[in-house]
Amino acid sequence: MTLINLSGIHSETYRELENDELPATGESVLVSLGQLQENSTSIFELTSSVGVIVNTETPYADLEEFVGRVAFVDIRFPVFGDGRGFSLAVRLRKDFGFKGEIRASGHVLPDQALFLLRAGFDSVDAPDERHEAFEAALKRFGAFYQTDMIGHGKSVAHLRHSADKDKSATQKAG
Amino acid sequence: MYAYDTFDRNIIDARVAEFRDQVERRMKGELTEEEFRPLRLMNGLYLQLHAYMLRVAVPYGTMSSKQMHRLADIATKYDKGYGHFTTRQNIQYNWPKLVETPDILTELADVEMHAHQTSGNCIRNTTTDQFAGATRDEVEDPRPYAELIRQWSTFHPEFSFLPRKFKIAITGAGQDRAAVKWHDIGLILRKNTEGEIGFEVIVGGGMGRTPVIGKTIREFLPEADLLSYLEAILRVYNEQGRRDNKYKARIKILVDALGAEEYGRLTEAEWHKIKDQHIDVPEEEVARIKAFFTPPPLPVLSDDVEEVDTFARENFIFKSWLENNTNPHKVLGHVNVTISLKPHDGIPGDATDAQMHFVADLAEKYSQSEIRVSHEQNLILPHVAKKDLPEIWKALDANGLGSANVGLLTDMIVCPGMDYCALANARSIPIGQAIADRFDDIRRLQDIGPLKLKISGCINSCGHHHAGHIGILGVDRRGEENYQISLGGSGAEDATKAALLGPGFDEHGIVDAVEKVVAVYLGEREEGEEFLATYRRLGPTPFKEAVYDAD
Ligand code: SF4
Repeated sequence: MTLINLSGIHSETYRELENDELPATGESVLVSLGQLQENSTSIFELTSSVGVIVNTETPYADLEEFVGRVAFVDIRFPVFGDGRGFSLAVRLRKDFGFKGEIRASGHVLPDQALFLLRAGFDSVDAPDERHEAFEAALKRFGAFYQTDMIGHGKSVAHLRHSADKDKSATQKAG
Repeated sequence: MYAYDTFDRNIIDARVAEFRDQVERRMKGELTEEEFRPLRLMNGLYLQLHAYMLRVAVPYGTMSSKQMHRLADIATKYDKGYGHFTTRQNIQYNWPKLVETPDILTELADVEMHAHQTSGNCIRNTTTDQFAGATRDEVEDPRPYAELIRQWSTFHPEFSFLPRKFKIAITGAGQDRAAVKWHDIGLILRKNTEGEIGFEVIVGGGMGRTPVIGKTIREFLPEADLLSYLEAILRVYNEQGRRDNKYKARIKILVDALGAEEYGRLTEAEWHKIKDQHIDVPEEEVARIKAFFTPPPLPVLSDDVEEVDTFARENFIFKSWLENNTNPHKVLGHVNVTISLKPHDGIPGDATDAQMHFVADLAEKYSQSEIRVSHEQNLILPHVAKKDLPEIWKALDANGLGSANVGLLTDMIVCPGMDYCALANARSIPIGQAIADRFDDIRRLQDIGPLKLKISGCINSCGHHHAGHIGILGVDRRGEENYQISLGGSGAEDATKAALLGPGFDEHGIVDAVEKVVAVYLGEREEGEEFLATYRRLGPTPFKEAVYDAD
């Protein structure tokens, strides 16, 4: 598996903890939400570099108490069409103002690269042979009809009526 | 009509290039069919019973002569010389070759058309009143809002992988010709007491195995807030809609489980959080889009045209056509003409390449080069001067398109059924044809009056049988095709679900049953009373007795 960086974020290497295992002091670790809910006090005492794994079924409200304390969130897709993962990322960005890394893992398709990026994901954990296809998909579109969730992309509708319109309209003609 | 700018153009070109690449990867074996499937579905390409089927969007059912000519060319070049207009105001090609589909998309993009969001679990093509912007009974033209929704929903980063497909319909007229209450979201344009424009918002309507009429969650939403409000509705659905069972995944099931009031509450709460997040477009953008839909400058003429009346006195079919196939235009002395795609012995909604070219030519001459598709699978020439009607009808008639049956019993909606569809339980088209055979006399049809008959080949209800005054559903009964009859449905502003009358029939019995139902109506109707009104007044009993007791 390789890590595909969609947003250009600086990504740490995290070790996924076994059930009931605790991190070494200062270690960057990845834990499931269940584990974190159970052992949060001991885990955060040992390290501040914690990533949490959530599945797409997780109600976003369950993440609220950890948002300020975890460094990144790994959203696991059981199947590429499970769009709840996208709303979860949007919620993290919009409702909780989460600034850390959001990673997509599990079953996602290269052709979803831009959807993921624009919903707020930074990175994808995908099989090696998919790397190139992800990179290609990322470059496909230069403008979008929606304002994206990470706050830097203006929608086409807004660009049409803003000063930098000419530049952006011609940016990606080819 | 809306015209693409550089942004739209770049996006569509990038999309075609992407699909070409995906098809190439599939042809080279780099993608398995399993991996390719979701990608082709995002581009309207289905695998049907015999071949691929490409569904092309006609956004909100409006197109130009140039676009229609192109659709005809595609039918000639890549299909068997015809296309099928659907109840979603789209057109389907039944025989494209996979390798050629990127070329078809290129030809479509060239005339500002596309096939994305005509399949898959995303926000589909928004449908509307076929007479939008041209009909006399309208508050406001809904098409600029439909175009806004088209753009906002195109490749939406969050809502392209919903629990299920999602259909939005919008109308601006008093008479609902877009069946908005049968959609996942229905929007009705309204003016408030200050004269401002807004929408009544209806959610959770839908057909299929659980037919539900949508419920209003907001009486008046200011026009400027449309997209953020839709986003709130969609977010609640995307998060909470069921994904464990595809038959329970539509928003109607969630609205039913939560209650419409609670759904409205969740939507409002979400909307208040996001309404200032630049989801809605700037005012100038709404104005820019609206400018494309400025009504054509038509001269005000008289509604009474001597030549038309004289010809109608001489020709009964023209007289019926005038009565059934024309709708009063905003501007006096003009009408909107419906061209029936339900000719005797034809396949409802089918048009040949020659017919498409012919209609496109007519539109150039008589209707400002504009054509509409209705959800009832007919074509419309809007903005026609009344004085041109005799000439238009003669031309249509000479080309096999002069049928005067719009709104009458033989103007049926019929799904493709077993003849094309992989999901079908029964044939639909031959049943429609057999019924049309039985009622082939225009004088008889005219006497029966407005009657909407709708046929589906399985419970997925693509033929809208739940909303038929008479609805027919094909089911499989121990390996035999069996047809159930329901009565009293409506897709209009007074939407109702049709009720099952009793046990089903074989393919001959169902035609007799329809005839018996019609006979009861003719015998019982009061002066000027239409079929649906008589049924609502009498209830099912006399119909049931006539259909089941005789034998
Ligand atoms: S109603 Fe059933 S048979 Fe008819 S087109 Fe839809 S899925 Fe196919």
